[in-house]
Formats: sequence, C-alpha cells, structure tokens
Amino acid sequence: MAYLNVSDVTLSFGGLKALSHVDMKIEPGLITSIIGPNGAGKTSMLNCISGFYHPTQGDIHYKEKKLTHASPHQVSSMGIARAFQNLELFSGLSVLDNLLLARHQNLKYSFLHAVFFFGKASRVEAENRGYVESVIDFMELEPYRKSLVGNLSYGVQKKVEVARALTLAPDILLLDEPMAGMNQEEKEDIVRFVMDIQKERNITVVLVEHDLGVVMDISDQIYVLDFGEVIGSGTPEEIASNPKVIEAYIGED
Amino acid sequence: MSANPWLATGNFYTTYKQEQKTFFTNLDRSVFTFFLVILYAWPLLFPLGNKYMLIVDNILIAIVAVMGLNLVTGFAGLISIGHAAFVGIGAYTIASFCRTIGDSHILITHLWPLLIIFSGLVGAVFGAIVGLPALRLKHLYLAIATLSFQMIFEWTIQFMSFFNQGQTIFVGRVFWFTGKVGRKDHYVFWYFVILTFVVLLGFGIRNLLKTRYGRSLIAVRDNDRAADAMGMNPGLTKVYAFALSGFFAGVAGALHAYVYRGVGFESFTLHESIGYLAMAIVGGLGTLNGSFWGPVAIKFLDLQVERLAETAGQYLPAGMNLATALKPLTFGLVIVLFLMFEPRGIANWWRIVKSYMKMWPFRY
Repeated sequence: MAYLNVSDVTLSFGGLKALSHVDMKIEPGLITSIIGPNGAGKTSMLNCISGFYHPTQGDIHYKEKKLTHASPHQVSSMGIARAFQNLELFSGLSVLDNLLLARHQNLKYSFLHAVFFFGKASRVEAENRGYVESVIDFMELEPYRKSLVGNLSYGVQKKVEVARALTLAPDILLLDEPMAGMNQEEKEDIVRFVMDIQKERNITVVLVEHDLGVVMDISDQIYVLDFGEVIGSGTPEEIASNPKVIEAYIGED
Repeated sequence: MSANPWLATGNFYTTYKQEQKTFFTNLDRSVFTFFLVILYAWPLLFPLGNKYMLIVDNILIAIVAVMGLNLVTGFAGLISIGHAAFVGIGAYTIASFCRTIGDSHILITHLWPLLIIFSGLVGAVFGAIVGLPALRLKHLYLAIATLSFQMIFEWTIQFMSFFNQGQTIFVGRVFWFTGKVGRKDHYVFWYFVILTFVVLLGFGIRNLLKTRYGRSLIAVRDNDRAADAMGMNPGLTKVYAFALSGFFAGVAGALHAYVYRGVGFESFTLHESIGYLAMAIVGGLGTLNGSFWGPVAIKFLDLQVERLAETAGQYLPAGMNLATALKPLTFGLVIVLFLMFEPRGIANWWRIVKSYMKMWPFRY
C-alpha cells in the first residue's frame, strides 16, 4: 500500500460531481503534481485530503490510518500540512507569530503555566522559537520577521504561506498553486524552495500547479485531472505523450 | 546584552528567552513600578469623599469586565452582547450564597477572596455554555445568540423568588486583618482590593498573549479556516474564549456585589452590556491597554455630563432633567465619532504617543 492512498474518491455537491472515482497513490519522498484545466477538481482533491471536504464516497488512507472523515486539525496533527491557494494568513500578526501559531500542537504546557509564564511555558516557547527561526532561515524570510503579514508584498506573503505549512514539521506538504500570480524570478525562487523542501527536509510534496513548464521539470509523478476524473498519470515523459492529456489541454485537431 | 540596561539603544538579544521579558529596559520597569506605587498611594495621601471613591471603584470594576470582553470580542473577534449578564452571574453567585447561608456567614465575610475567584469560575462555566453556539454560528448570528442569553438572564432573575425578583439582596460587611471594614473605609478598602485584581489579571492577560492560549484567540479571529489547518480546533478555541471572558466578568460581578453591599438586577441589563461594548470600542478592541482607557473615558464622560447638567439646571425650569437627556446623547455621539474617526480607539493614540516618545527629540 502506498504512503498516501486515495481510493475511489467521489465528491459531489448536489448534482455536481467535483471528483468522480479518483484513485491516487502518493509515494514517500517524491514530488507528485496534480495538474488539469480550470475547474478540474485539483483544489477539491487537496481539500479532501486536508479534511476541509469529506468525500461522498471512497476512502483516503495515510500510513494505514483512515482520514476520510478527519477534520483539518486532526489531519495536520497526523503530519499533513497544507498551504492555501488564496492567501489565508493571519494578517493582523507578524510573520514570527504566524509561524509560531503553526507550532500550536507542539507547545505542550498547561494553561496555568501560560498565565504565570514561568518555567515550562517560557522554556517551551523559546525552544519552538528556535524551530521557527530555522524555518525563517530556510525560507529566507529574515528581513520580514517582525513585520505585519498584511503589509507585506504578495510574493513574500506566498512565501510566508509555504513557510507556515513547513513550520508544522509535516511528512507531506500539500501546496496549492504556490506560484500563481508571480513573476518569473519569484517563480524560480519558489521552485528552488520546493526542491529544497523535498531534498533537504525529506518532505513528500504534493503540488497543484498551472505552470506546465515547472511541473514537467520538477515532478517525479504527475496526475492529470479533467472534469473530476483522472485522465492520465505517470512520469512527466509519459504525460507529455499521453493523447488524452494533449486533447484536454490543446483540444482535438 | 546590556550596553546600558536603562536604555533600549545598543542592546541586542542573544537568546530567545531575553525576548520574552515583559519590560525590556530598567527604565520601563521603573516607570511602571513608580506608576503602580502612585496608584496604591494616592487614596491615602489625598482622600476622596465616598461619592467619588465609589466612582473610582466603579471604573476599576468596569476595567475588569472590559478586559474579559476585550478577550472575546477584541482578540477572538466574537461579538458578545450579553457581557453584563455574565457580570450578573458573578454577582448573583455571591447573592445565592447570601440567600442560602445568610449574608453575614463567615464564608462571605472572611473568605471573600476565595468567593470572588469562585464567582469567576461560575462565570467561566456559564461562558462556556453560552459559547457553545459558536461551534456553529458566526458573526451577527452569534451576537444574537449572546443577546438571547442576556434576555434569559434578566427574565430568570426577575421571576425567581430565590433571587428576590431582582430586588436588592444584601451582602454583609467583610473582615480584613484589622477587623471589620467599616462604613468610612469601605470604598477605599475595596479600591485596593479591586486594584490588586486589575493588576494581577492584567499581567495574566499579558502573559497569556505570549503563549499558545493567547495566540490561538487571534488566530480564530483573523482566519479560522487557516487556524483549523494549523492544528487548532477553532470551535473549542471559541468556547474557551467565552469561558475566559466569563471568568473576568464573574470576578467583576462579585466585586460589584461586595462594593455595593447588595445585588439588584438593574446593574446587569442590556443597557450595561452595550455600555461595556462601547468601552471596549472606545478603548481599542484587541489591545490590552484599551481595556483600561475605555472604562476611564466613558465613566469620566458620564461624570462631566452630570456636572454640566447640574450647572445648567440652575438656569432651567425645575421640571426639566437635562442629565437624562444628555447622557444617552453624548454616549451615542462618542461611539459614533470613535467608529468614524478612530476605530482603533484610544489605544491607538497611546501607540502614537509611545512611538513619538521613543524617537524624541528626533523625528525619524
């Protein structure tokens, strides 16, 4: 059985089928991309995995554990982190506090420790601050550490979004269009980060992306969705020569 | 660290623990201590009459209540229009003890600090129960749910003979180490007690905001979807926010009961709830120091309006009562003006003054 196993997942909203009978196997240590035209169900798929939607039919298993009906905070505590497509940051807080919030599950001290802020609370906070700093270092966010997230530029906010998901110390990182709306330089930056995340931190990456060039370059495995169905899967070479995929993207000639 | 421990200039943090400190320089700490000493000393040096001491006590009680409201509405972003009812829960906890074991029982007269904390806990339990709709409801709908609690509270008090149908239930005089606190010292004594509660609870909030228990409140306010993805249970966090605010309200209510030496339902009506909300807005939602500014500003305004009405009353026909007309008018006007021109409240002025002082005498 695969690491993260999506089997026969169907998601319908009334009569509309966002996903129908989707099967996916995500292998550890690889970059798996999900591509497809607009409205193909890519984000719905991520929402199903991260617990924001629950499949109408079918199951999702992670390391033999069933997470079909788990809520987002349960999924994230199992080690699956998620970065959002539209920025969902805590805009009234600094970059540092945004990342510290992602350490919520690791800050293990009681309420009384917190109120008096002695001993354990102070120590645990400092330790986790150390971890947060390592992520800030990794994502090159040092200049923005203390600035309010709401005041930062779009490109930096996207980076904070990825950094926040990374601060959860996940085994699997779900990235929802991390490069949308960025210029070439910023895109290359993010691509470098995604590859570093996989290689240096040994995190399995699931990437939803529109930029086919990027996807073909960095993915180990690709799933193509169209109208909620998987129309092709395999290595980038296999996908590039798959007639169904070409038809979905370019149309019949 | 420490080029000069008195000034921020030239000091750098070398550990994360240093950054957790409440006061960054010796100057900060000294100024705060000095301020605190003055707060404790002035009633002894310049004694006020009972009438004005009662107003000061009232302000401090409102500060405790607004600190709680600020946690739930300012930090966690959940509008609560039933805050006076929570304050009432605290006061009626004391009243229930008076009804069952008598208003001069040793528990009430000697163990009052424990009883005040206990009232806070009762408030927290009710807060958690009223917070339960937050698992499902958001924004205005949640506000209406808290409003319904306010209504239920008022009706219950007015129709239960156990609560004397809302008429005053007396609370006995308390004892201190020096003996029974008499009529002359009553308000000064309670000034010190409430001030101590304000200082302790203020530090409590300050510490809480540095930890996961405070940050999670702000997380559910800013983005509860993301909070969920970051491993917090947003529903439980909201219930916890209500419980926390209920605790502060309960403590405020118990203090109210002791200061007035009686509990009557008219101190916990919807009007009071809106008053607390106004204090939180005028002070500055989502800031700790806003909880201090708001009550002071609103109560001071009330006092000035009363004075103005008194002065004007000498020149007006005897039948006209200017105060009853002016009070709601100025109250409404102040809220509207603040919402329009300074939605971040007086706390924002404080922030501006502080950043100006930091650079003084240079502008940049």
